[in-house]
Amino acid sequence: MPNLAKPLNYGLLFCLMLWPLPSLADDFAAKVRYAELAETTGGYSVNTEIDYQLSPTAKEALHKGVPLAWDVSIKIRQPGFLRNTTLYKKKLPYSLQFHALLNQYEVKGPSGQVEMFLTLNAALNFMALLHDAAHIDKGLLKPGHDYQLAVRTRFNRELLPVPLRPVAYLDAQWFLSSDWFIWPIQK
Amino acid sequence: MAYSKIKLPASVSIIILFGFVLLSLQLMSSATQESSQLGEMYSWLLVINTLGSIILLGLVAVNAYSLVRELKKKEAGSKLTTRMVSLFVLLALAPAAIVFYFSVQFLHQGIDSWFNVEIDRAMDDALELSQSSLAQRMNWHIKQTRQMATQLQDKSEPTIALELGSLWPESGAMEIAVFSNQGHILASSSANPSDILPHLPDEQIWLQLRQNKEYFAYDPGDNDEMLVRIIVPIQRDQSRFLQVLYPVPVRVTDLADSIEFAFIRYQEMTFLRDSLKTSFSLILLLVLLLSMLAAIWVAFISIRNIVAPVKELVKGTQAVADGDYKQQLPVMNQDDLGFLVESFNQMTKRIARSRDETRAAGLEVENQRAYLETILANLTAGVISFDSAFYIRTANQAAYRILHIPVSHFVGQTLQTLSVKHAELAEVLTTIQRLLEKADDIWEQRIVFLGPNGRQELLCRGTPLFSQHGSRTGAVVVFDDVTDLIQAQKNAAWGEVARRLAHEIKNPLTPIQLSAERLQHKLAKELPDSSAEFLQRGTRTIVQQVEAMKRMVDDFSEYARPSKKQVEKINLIDLIQEILALYTPSGIVFASSFETRHVIVEVDPVSIRQVLHNLIKNAQEATTAQCKIDVKIAKVIRNNAEYVELGIYDNGSGLNADQIETIFEPYVTSKSKGTGLGLAIVKKIVEEHGGVIWVDTSYNDGAGFVIQLPVFEFGNN
Repeated sequence: MPNLAKPLNYGLLFCLMLWPLPSLADDFAAKVRYAELAETTGGYSVNTEIDYQLSPTAKEALHKGVPLAWDVSIKIRQPGFLRNTTLYKKKLPYSLQFHALLNQYEVKGPSGQVEMFLTLNAALNFMALLHDAAHIDKGLLKPGHDYQLAVRTRFNRELLPVPLRPVAYLDAQWFLSSDWFIWPIQK
Repeated sequence: MAYSKIKLPASVSIIILFGFVLLSLQLMSSATQESSQLGEMYSWLLVINTLGSIILLGLVAVNAYSLVRELKKKEAGSKLTTRMVSLFVLLALAPAAIVFYFSVQFLHQGIDSWFNVEIDRAMDDALELSQSSLAQRMNWHIKQTRQMATQLQDKSEPTIALELGSLWPESGAMEIAVFSNQGHILASSSANPSDILPHLPDEQIWLQLRQNKEYFAYDPGDNDEMLVRIIVPIQRDQSRFLQVLYPVPVRVTDLADSIEFAFIRYQEMTFLRDSLKTSFSLILLLVLLLSMLAAIWVAFISIRNIVAPVKELVKGTQAVADGDYKQQLPVMNQDDLGFLVESFNQMTKRIARSRDETRAAGLEVENQRAYLETILANLTAGVISFDSAFYIRTANQAAYRILHIPVSHFVGQTLQTLSVKHAELAEVLTTIQRLLEKADDIWEQRIVFLGPNGRQELLCRGTPLFSQHGSRTGAVVVFDDVTDLIQAQKNAAWGEVARRLAHEIKNPLTPIQLSAERLQHKLAKELPDSSAEFLQRGTRTIVQQVEAMKRMVDDFSEYARPSKKQVEKINLIDLIQEILALYTPSGIVFASSFETRHVIVEVDPVSIRQVLHNLIKNAQEATTAQCKIDVKIAKVIRNNAEYVELGIYDNGSGLNADQIETIFEPYVTSKSKGTGLGLAIVKKIVEEHGGVIWVDTSYNDGAGFVIQLPVFEFGNN
């Protein structure tokens, strides 16, 4: 067999040159302002405030009738020596759509409820707060232990129209997801 | 690369690969359809296909790199592979590129043709019409609701409930409700009796209500129906609100939905116009890339498989060119190339067999030649062969021994050239050359010449060699040194003569002598003095001559008689010095040069003493002035045997060429007195001791005799 080191090196370099650099351009990424675990009767609920931002392209797509969807992920983790243990996780899907006829914005929440808004800001503000009907069992968190509450929202490109998906993975205008935001919880 | 090992799996894997490529491309194509279930897999399919393309590109690159290396190394079959792959790529790429270009063009034009200004305007107009229609309906309902609110103004809560009952049938509303600004329901009336509770506004509506005092909007109702929700304040202080839900007719809802759907779809399509082009172009490109790369990779494998037998053939041919006839190539396929390989294998087998046979025959010939050479080399007769131009081809060892020149070193040269370098043999060589050139048949000639060891006589027989066609191919000369044989014959003859002389002459000599003496004795007294004196002179002469004849006969008989050899081991040096001492008083000057003083020979000392006496006497007699004799002793090896070489050189008159030839023959003398048997006896004694004697012709200051005797021990004291 011929020595493949050289061609493989060149191939690797070529692939690296083709690789997009999405993480550097996160001007339109959503941010989780805060997250907290609020005590309710018999359990806990998660309160967060997520600051969604829409890029001009995303706004144009929305107004052209393209529905936009995010998945808000919540995790409660217990930090470990080598790896963290996830005690609770939940995904809350949100979708935003513009109705041209009524000139309203429709937000579909995790439980399937539909809310109509006259302005985009109103719709985004509605999405900013979690609408999770489920409660976290109180027995999950034991006193005297440290926990972490991790929240992120991920823009679901796979729900975009098919022709838009490849572009959405490469164009920074579509990098609307947030990173994981982690808050410590002490019990 | 061992492509032959993956012969069958390769074809299967190629089919599987193409199957995967087609499946993947088909899935991706299906995924682009809006209604397809595969829509969710689109991105993954895209990634998989892209990865597939990259892997195939890598495989093609590795193969191309490998091919370039083979080309640089000038490996067998690399040029053919390159040519075939290039041709395939060119033939495949050109039409594919043309199809791709026109497909993309057609695709772009097709997508562009979906959109035009008229449809744009029509869609906008349709939406605006729908919006106007709905707005008009909304405005009418707002007005209607405000009127109802005015009627309910300043009414108590029980009255409001009654009023609602009367207002509801006139309004055509689905539901009418009054609630406080705290959200408490004060009164409600609904067309559907099952609705116990009215559709209360949610937080968002309350928010907007507080901001705008009024709320009116189309709300999605149950069962995909559309409702107009209008909330207006009843009291000016906004302590009470009237909410009326008007149903939108199903037909209107359907029409509006249809227009909105079409508008949205069109808007979406417009927005996705470029993305669609890019996406379809991307898919087309992937299809092209995957197909082309897979085809090129398969082409590499297939062409290598096709070229493999050719490669093997080239290697095999090179091996055959290098002389390796055992090369057998593997037959990969039973096709034309396989047939070619089989033919090659048969050819190499036959060549190898022929080579082996030729080699065996050559070996046989070589053995025969070696055998003949051995025989020739061990022949006592010298053999020299010549080619047609009389250049020496071969010469055996005996030729060297007889002629004393390494004839075998002069292969390719003529005897004439040899005679130039060895002038002492010029006569004999020229004679042989002349005879060779002249003779057309077998010839025989005795040639006498003066060699380094004295006179030599050769018996030469020449045979011209002819080819089967009769042309002359050369000649062979066989010669033998018959000097000794001739000499032995002469010696035998002289011996016989001497014996007869001794017998026939000596017998009458005594009576003659006695008779002469008796005549003298009887008649001396009776005859007168003058006659007596005459008689006395006559008888004295007779007696003297008889005595002389007796001596001569004695010498001859001595020559004829074998020397009585009382053999014993003596030191030759001691013997020589003893004899030299005897002659020292007579004034002879001896110069001796001995390599060693310990030379043991096994000889008859009396005979050897006579040899030395004869030689020294000869030297003394041949010298007129002061006689000087050099005596030299050296060791020589002849025919793998050790000899002592005794040289005796004087400063006398020397010997001329005629004398040298016959000096050892009996009755040959240069002296006035003498029988001429001295040197003949010397030679006889030496030869009886297994030695030889010859005249050193290279010595010119006098006569030089060299004696070689077998030595028992030389040099170790």
